[in-house]
Amino acid sequence: MHLDLETRTRKDYIREQKSLHGRKVMGVFPAQYPRELLLAMNILPVEIWDPPLRTREASAHLQSYICSVVSLGLELILQGKCSDLDAFLFPHTCDSIQNLASIVNDYLGIHKPCYFFYHPKAPYKRASRPYYISQLKELKSGLEKQFGELRETDLKRSVDRWEEIRKDISKCYLLRSEGRLNTSNRAFYSILRRVEYLHPDDFHPLLTNFLQSGRTETERQGHGVLLSGVLPNPPEVLDHLDAIGVRVVDDDLLSCSRRFLSGPVSNSDPYEAMAETYFSLPPCSTRGSAIEERLNHILKKIRSSRADGVIFLIVKFCEPEFFDVPILADSLKKEGIPVLVLENEINQALSGQIVTRIEAFAEMLG
Amino acid sequence: MKGWVIGIDVGSLTTDAVIMDEDKRVLSFSIVDTGYNSTDAAREAMTVAAGRAGLELEDVSRLVATGYGRAAVPEANKRVTEIACHAAGAVYLFPDTEMVIDIGGQDSKVIKVGKDGRVQDFVMNDKCAAGTGRFLEVMSAKLKIPLDGMGDISISARGEAAISSVCTVFAESEVVSLVARNCPKEEIVKGIHRSVVNRVWAMTRQLRVSGGVTMTGGVAKNRGVVALMEERVGRRINVPDEPQIVGALGAALFALREK
Ligand code: SF4
Repeated sequence: MHLDLETRTRKDYIREQKSLHGRKVMGVFPAQYPRELLLAMNILPVEIWDPPLRTREASAHLQSYICSVVSLGLELILQGKCSDLDAFLFPHTCDSIQNLASIVNDYLGIHKPCYFFYHPKAPYKRASRPYYISQLKELKSGLEKQFGELRETDLKRSVDRWEEIRKDISKCYLLRSEGRLNTSNRAFYSILRRVEYLHPDDFHPLLTNFLQSGRTETERQGHGVLLSGVLPNPPEVLDHLDAIGVRVVDDDLLSCSRRFLSGPVSNSDPYEAMAETYFSLPPCSTRGSAIEERLNHILKKIRSSRADGVIFLIVKFCEPEFFDVPILADSLKKEGIPVLVLENEINQALSGQIVTRIEAFAEMLG
Repeated sequence: MKGWVIGIDVGSLTTDAVIMDEDKRVLSFSIVDTGYNSTDAAREAMTVAAGRAGLELEDVSRLVATGYGRAAVPEANKRVTEIACHAAGAVYLFPDTEMVIDIGGQDSKVIKVGKDGRVQDFVMNDKCAAGTGRFLEVMSAKLKIPLDGMGDISISARGEAAISSVCTVFAESEVVSLVARNCPKEEIVKGIHRSVVNRVWAMTRQLRVSGGVTMTGGVAKNRGVVALMEERVGRRINVPDEPQIVGALGAALFALREK
């Protein structure tokens, strides 16, 4: 019997994907990776961002000043909760993920294949595109040894499919920024974040249904903010914004728009198309984008979504973000845009002080 | 019915109430310990303040609650953050205020305020005890000097002990070493105050304000801290007669505004 998507746990879902569809499952660490390639090989990527755990054993392997995305990811492995996964993929996101990759692959002795994906960092040069394509092909060859040959036609189909999904994600963002999507902050991200583990066969209908049922012509009420940072966690921040009538009208989150809102694809070669997607992604701290580019991107979003302010939701000790955030926050303030920087551990309950800061920020908006 | 209103500030250490009339005159105020039950503390503070004003609680037409325990005041008509309330209260008392420094028991805040009393930006130290009243409390216990006597002691100091650590735990061990080396008490206290001031001053710099500065919160009663802060910001600081009730005062102003 199929359990409803709403009630099925991620574990049940993974098991069902394996038993019913014969899929292999890859545990993928943040952030950017070619999901089209994995899906074309009938491998379901399950992303590991914020497992609902407490750090217990991981502290023995990590410095105390590491981000909780990494410490909880390692905890998940150490607590033996990855037994259904067939392999791990570590994209080259930041030094912390690199270190994690090395701990898992070289020292833990967990006997699970580990794959690595290197992508070029900005500023992009003439060699960046060929390099990116060579990395895609290298990953493909590595995966083929474990999971069997990838047919070009399957890859093409998978690229087209992801392009369709991305278009619908973009539509959701557009409608939301225009105030024509009737949804709570919590509901929006809870749907969007299902992309982190659902197969397109399940995710795409969910998304289109959300899109259709949420369309509205009524004007946006209350204040709107743009959410930047790593990921929309803790979700209680979203709940609290909902409770005080503040709508997230757009985002610049690493786990969301920075990975999904790329430009349209025109190339028919699947590798070229994937490269096109990658190089048209919004600027990001983990891809080495210049700060001016990030600032202009955020300003453009603020204007188009008529956001009244910006909230940076930063994971404590996230190195790439902390390089940019002080400068971004300062520059935005100079432009007269109210800014709130919240620093939190993943899954950490909202303290009274954070609640106060969110409410005081909302009061400041008027 | 007369237009009396109450503002109530339920803080982590004390709960304060201010009763105001519709001409924005303060009729009475009260300060009680919050204890473990914020709702009871709020009732007690309101009852005491009402008694002092010669009123019954039923005479009050509107109640605004602020502070960490603002949600625990079921009678409140509205809840406003202490950040907005301290700003409104400070501008009411000192209209030249452009920056409010509130060093409270558990955290400290620096608020940039517009002429209309509205918050334009704020910074909060919510990570540790450094730069808060809690830091001073720990040190006063260590040195066996009553908290409210620390200000006068430090004013009399001729020298100043250097306390390099901002962390309460490490600073405590520095103080222990200073005591062991027979460093004069007043110089240690001045060093402790300097440590609090440096921490808060770093926050003030983020807001880049050149106008009037008002200090609120219990620590504003400490003359030693205020003197060092004035030295740091390079101008005189406004200190209310009752710096602890500024949050409740701001809440009362919000209550009047909403009427
Ligand atoms: S939160 Fe920041 S430091 Fe941690 S994995 Fe993500 S990008 Fe890297």
